[in-house]
Amino acid sequence: MLVRLCLRRRCTPHYSTRLIHSEREVRKDPRWPGYEVVIGIETHAQLKSRQKLFSHALTSGPKDTPNTNVSVFDAAFPGTLPKLNPKCVDLGLRASLALKCEIQKRSSFDRKHYFYSDLPSGFQITQQYAPLATNGSLEVHLPDQPKSVRVRIKQLQLEQDTAKSTFHPRTLTSQIDLNRAGTGLMEIVSEPDLRSPEEAGAYVRTLQAILRAVGASDGNMEEGSLRCDVNVSVNRIGEPFGTRCEIKNLNSVKFMMAAITSEIRRHIDILNSPTPVVAQETRGFDENTFETFKLRSKEDAPDYRYMPDPNLGTLLLSEERIQVIESTMPELPWQIRQRLITSYGLSERNVDTLLKLDSAKDVPLDGDTTAAQGPIQYFDTLCEGKRRDPKVVFNWMAHELLGQLTARKQTFQNNTLSTQQLAELIDLVQEKQLTGTSAKYLLRHILSNPNTKSTREVAEEQQLLSFPPTSPPPTSSTAGVTPEAENEGALDDVVLRAMAAMPKEVEALRAGRMGVMNKIVGWVMRESRGRADAKSVKEQIERLLERR
Amino acid sequence: MRAHARSALTRFSLPSSRCTRCYSTRQALIEQNAKINAFVHISPESAASASKAGALQGLKVAVKDNIATKDSPTTCSSAILKDFVSPFDATVVKQLRRDGADIVGKTNCDEFGMGSLNVYSVHGPTLNPFPYTSGASTGAGGVEERSAGGSSGGSAAAVAMGLCDAALGTDTGGSIRLPASYCGVVGFKPSYGLVSRWGVVSYADSLDCVGVLGADVPVVSRVFDRISAFDTKDPTSAEPELREAASTHARRRLESLALDSGRGKLDGLRIGIPQEFFPSELSPAVLDLFRGVLQSLQARGATLVPVSLPSSSYALSAYYVLASAEASSNMARYDGIQYGKRIPTNSLADLRNVASVYAQGRSAGFGPEVQRRILLGTYALTSDAFDNYFLQAQRVRQLVKDDFDAVFSIPNVRTALEESVEGSEGDSGKVDVLLHPSAIGSAPPLSPDSSKSPLDSYVQDLLTVPASLAGVPALSVPCPTTSTLLTREAGEQGYDGWPVGVSVIGQWGSDELVLAVGQAVAEGRRT
Repeated sequence: MLVRLCLRRRCTPHYSTRLIHSEREVRKDPRWPGYEVVIGIETHAQLKSRQKLFSHALTSGPKDTPNTNVSVFDAAFPGTLPKLNPKCVDLGLRASLALKCEIQKRSSFDRKHYFYSDLPSGFQITQQYAPLATNGSLEVHLPDQPKSVRVRIKQLQLEQDTAKSTFHPRTLTSQIDLNRAGTGLMEIVSEPDLRSPEEAGAYVRTLQAILRAVGASDGNMEEGSLRCDVNVSVNRIGEPFGTRCEIKNLNSVKFMMAAITSEIRRHIDILNSPTPVVAQETRGFDENTFETFKLRSKEDAPDYRYMPDPNLGTLLLSEERIQVIESTMPELPWQIRQRLITSYGLSERNVDTLLKLDSAKDVPLDGDTTAAQGPIQYFDTLCEGKRRDPKVVFNWMAHELLGQLTARKQTFQNNTLSTQQLAELIDLVQEKQLTGTSAKYLLRHILSNPNTKSTREVAEEQQLLSFPPTSPPPTSSTAGVTPEAENEGALDDVVLRAMAAMPKEVEALRAGRMGVMNKIVGWVMRESRGRADAKSVKEQIERLLERR
Repeated sequence: MRAHARSALTRFSLPSSRCTRCYSTRQALIEQNAKINAFVHISPESAASASKAGALQGLKVAVKDNIATKDSPTTCSSAILKDFVSPFDATVVKQLRRDGADIVGKTNCDEFGMGSLNVYSVHGPTLNPFPYTSGASTGAGGVEERSAGGSSGGSAAAVAMGLCDAALGTDTGGSIRLPASYCGVVGFKPSYGLVSRWGVVSYADSLDCVGVLGADVPVVSRVFDRISAFDTKDPTSAEPELREAASTHARRRLESLALDSGRGKLDGLRIGIPQEFFPSELSPAVLDLFRGVLQSLQARGATLVPVSLPSSSYALSAYYVLASAEASSNMARYDGIQYGKRIPTNSLADLRNVASVYAQGRSAGFGPEVQRRILLGTYALTSDAFDNYFLQAQRVRQLVKDDFDAVFSIPNVRTALEESVEGSEGDSGKVDVLLHPSAIGSAPPLSPDSSKSPLDSYVQDLLTVPASLAGVPALSVPCPTTSTLLTREAGEQGYDGWPVGVSVIGQWGSDELVLAVGQAVAEGRRT
């Protein structure tokens, strides 16, 4: 049963922490000289779990028919009780660890009360008094700044999403879709450590990438699985921090940055007016005017009457469970970057390409790590340690394969070329059994005709294997019968046919006009459909000329 | 009151296609029920359940109307759930059906379980059936109308009237024990977490318990045994290991006691008498009857030990803060839009203001007591009052729990799994169970006393809430009326001849022990 003798009220964060918070140097901004901007962000990210936070109902995507994934609990039927989904806790733990938070071994759930049609039970279950994790940090890189910005994470808590209401202005009615009701959310609260709209944007993008990388959330802002509330305050440089205003429900990085900029201008206008007092408010953002507007003042702020949830009690996390999560964590973006650079010697630019490619992969449900492999794993598998040259592998993967996929309007996710097939293709090229031209043709062929055959098999079917390099006569005289012997004869055959077909050119060659050589080689290449190596062909022609 | 009873009679009509015999039994039920308004819905006899073999085959069980059943309405005696039929059966109902019980119908209660007299019901009050069962109903002034107690008044009255063999009730602060005491039946509130709450409409989740009412302890035990099981759908359901640990303690103690009350031997049984449970409000007649019970137990070898539970005096206040706070939260879903009627507003301004739309629906849908507790609870949870009310009440609750743990010889397995178990049992001050009067008096009259504030009725719960706050098992059995008392004139010592209960409280999970001692108390009748 529940006993919390020493519940912690959520301290009013901004003011208490602001005074001690001046670890960041004042960053001068030419857009608002003389002013300092302070920004903190609360992010709501939907957990990528198969089932909802407290019920067995499946989570939904935007394409699901409304009100199809709803349990009696989600619809708040009398007599229903919550049941915490451990998968959601695991995903929350992954995110917490990735954000370097302290995991709370004891956390608990509370009810936040308000009446709204998208909240069937009249309260949202959240973690007001004892969140899952606290005191984390996130390094945010900005392209124009050499040093990364360290943003402190105040806390990460689990909570329920609400239903979705859609208002129809024509009929003046609202429609409620309970599919979203009860889906697990993480609320990630940053300290006010950001100093410009650009930093805020970079913070959200970095957070998004991390949540995706650990599989905690797909972080899709367009589909509403990641939303931001932003706190903005402005002060004159050297003066105490200003009064903050909160801008609610921003659902794209672009809008968020525009909202912050608009809010900064509004504050500065007030600070320059005869009554320079900014009122603490909650504001919305108008996507048409690109301006913020007042939702409610501090006085109208609702009292949510937080109450410890009497059903869920304390969430106890054992050290073992946290360790298991830690040891099965997918690699984080900065860890991957480091590894690719140090162990493969890839350039920053190539690493960026791979990371960008990797970040677009589908986030599997329930943090499944056995799901289809992403581009980084694909690359790792191809390199097989360092058995294959990482730079060669990168070229084949990022240029040839990705180029082909792009040409076909396919993404890496629907790539049908297996790592075995590409690895074999690369090996065949390296061993000169396949020319570059043939290999590219072969790659296109396999993509057009997806199969599970080995690359060599397909190459043989397509008669793409190279004529082996013809060895100079002194060393090749004693060679035994090799599988390539047949091909060797075939190349001779093509060269001989070429010389027979172009007697004039052969004469010219004999006369020392070497420019004609390319014409004959070209004929051979055409005839052999790229299987021949131009250099070998040239040598072969020269040998045959000498022989005569 | 008669009007209520008449309306209850006309409310029921059964399909005429039923076989005559079945029809007649249900018909008899309907006629009897009309006198006391215990049932708010009577189910047609189900051929399926009648033929189903099981541990409870043929047992007629009534279910309180705040427990979900998919084949009949679940109104919680509230206008806001007037026509509500749940799409699922509560786990307890499923268990009863599985075991072949005949679920005869849904019983009246105070709205959402909030009340101590079963008067706050959209179906009208339940009458105490004592006049009909005691043979004293033919007085000159007609039948004396007294309360059946609440909130499980319909369940208690149905059992007392003989309309069913057993009934499920819910007990948040005494809602089973109080009506059991007033109606003269056995009422059992098990340890919190033993019986699933899935499908039980929440009043105050941290206190709500499903329990059983019956004519005697064996039938209550029989039903309780079937519904006490771990349920994954209830997050507060006790895990099997915990149940096992607790019942091992209780069984071991029972074996060492070798209670043989049949031959009148209760040697070794240590019964604690908590001094705080005899407040000034306690009627002298109840005290007299209680003394009789103690003498009988002592005569049969039990040791009586005076004990103190010092925090109990704050229990009632803490209970009303916590229960009201949770109630205000749980009632939030009944907003007049999904449940209840959307009350049309007369002014456009009201329509634009979302809050007033909710307020209209909720004001119309909730009765006075539910409204009162919502307001109390809402206040207790506001940010200004939270620390002084809600948190303070939680601290008191912990103290109340600690008090119980301090007097029981059996350890609390929920908090003391690591502690040495055997060491504590020899402790001389400790007791097996506690015994106290279930209520401060016999059933109060139904006619409203306008001089009293609605809060005065809260004192009814004075003796029952400590066990609720601690989540420990508590059983009310009718006080056996000894021969000396029976020879007394009615009215002497304030004794009015109406039933009075005595309650047995045990350590968490020692429900078997509590039931066994309850049986011993009941058998005091024979001596």
